[in-house]
Amino acid sequence: MKGSSNRFPNGAWSSSPTHIAIEDDGSGVEAELARYLPHLSRMSVQLKQTSTQIENSVVDVCISFQGIAERARQTVARTTGFLGHQGNEHSGKRSFEGLLDSCSETLVKILKTTEEAGEISRRAIERIQQMDKASQSINAAMRQLEEIAKGNKILALNARIEAARAGSHGVGFAVVAAEVISQTERSQKVNAQVGDLIASLRSLASSTLDDLRQMNEQGQRRMEECRLEVDNSLHDLQAAHGEMKEMLTGMTEEGVLLANEIGSAVRGLQFQDRTSQRIAHVIEDLDTLHARLVDRFGSSAVVEAASDKGFSNYTMHEEREVAGIGEAESGQGDVELF
Amino acid sequence: MRRALIVDDSPSMRQMVGFTLRQGGFDVIEAENGQDALQKLQASVVDLIITDLNMPVMDGITLIQHVRQQPAMKSKPILMLTTEGLAAKKEQGKAAGATGWIVKPFDPDKLLLTITKVLP
Repeated sequence: MKGSSNRFPNGAWSSSPTHIAIEDDGSGVEAELARYLPHLSRMSVQLKQTSTQIENSVVDVCISFQGIAERARQTVARTTGFLGHQGNEHSGKRSFEGLLDSCSETLVKILKTTEEAGEISRRAIERIQQMDKASQSINAAMRQLEEIAKGNKILALNARIEAARAGSHGVGFAVVAAEVISQTERSQKVNAQVGDLIASLRSLASSTLDDLRQMNEQGQRRMEECRLEVDNSLHDLQAAHGEMKEMLTGMTEEGVLLANEIGSAVRGLQFQDRTSQRIAHVIEDLDTLHARLVDRFGSSAVVEAASDKGFSNYTMHEEREVAGIGEAESGQGDVELF
Repeated sequence: MRRALIVDDSPSMRQMVGFTLRQGGFDVIEAENGQDALQKLQASVVDLIITDLNMPVMDGITLIQHVRQQPAMKSKPILMLTTEGLAAKKEQGKAAGATGWIVKPFDPDKLLLTITKVLP
């Protein structure tokens, strides 16, 4: 064999693409080369299969990345929709922020209505107080009427006395005086009944006034308590909402980091594409070499030598299958206990 | 949503470029060589083509030459994405009508940035 000048001093072969001529000098070099010819085609198949397996694995990893990124994106979008202003347009649900605003608005309306009710109650108290003052004036007027009635009665009595003094000429006048006394007594009775009714009305008004005052005070107190409770609750909810927004911001930032990391991984995984291309080029060279050697030595030599080597270093099913020594064996992931 | 056609004989590269473009908000169509891409273009309108150079059946340069003959595709951006970095090859791509040339491996962010520059 020529070309020994291509060896380095340490005995290794140079990788420079120098043509090496092989001449059959009768020492069996050609036969030895022919013996290894089957290895070339098997190496080529091994490389193709390896390249395909790496490719499939990278595709699987990419699909997983796609799923991870999509789920992260959807999670952030859903949370943003729930917490943010826009709500979920597809489901028609309102956002958390929208619900908070709605609660605040409703609370303001309730408080306003309660305040208006308190104002009505306060005005009712004022009117009842005005009615009480009016009934006091009526009482005063009735006392004056009573005084007038008493005066009329005394006047009638005096008239009767004068009528008696007048003898038979005063008989008619005595009848009139008696009638005046009778009418005065009737008016005193009616006056007393009106007085009783007014007293009763004042008593009722006084009770109603007490009830209204009590109700108003309780209403004001309760309203203030409710306002404080709801204010506190809304404050807590808004604080929780703020925290959730911060968490969302964190999640979004994590999502961006995740996307960047996946981007880096995608960049890293492209080694496979370059490796595959280089393997493909090696395969082409091997196939060319194989074809030329077959042309040189003939396929009969190849066939005869095909089973010469044992491929004892092959451990995987695919390798042994390529070498033509495949046999039934467990598949990937199979478990066998002894 | 804008649509991109990715042409590469490597399924993993199609996945990686597709992943990047989907993250960038694109609808993605895939083809495994130039011939397949031309068939896909008959059925779909695209805003952008990203193609490999060396592919079986029909390579990227030939694909671009065919695509540029279609009136609707005359001004659409076409980016070459290849491991090839020789200036002579780039010139061939430019002459065929490529809009840009990116050497693999690509950086996802840079790829998206480049796309925003070439898209109208």
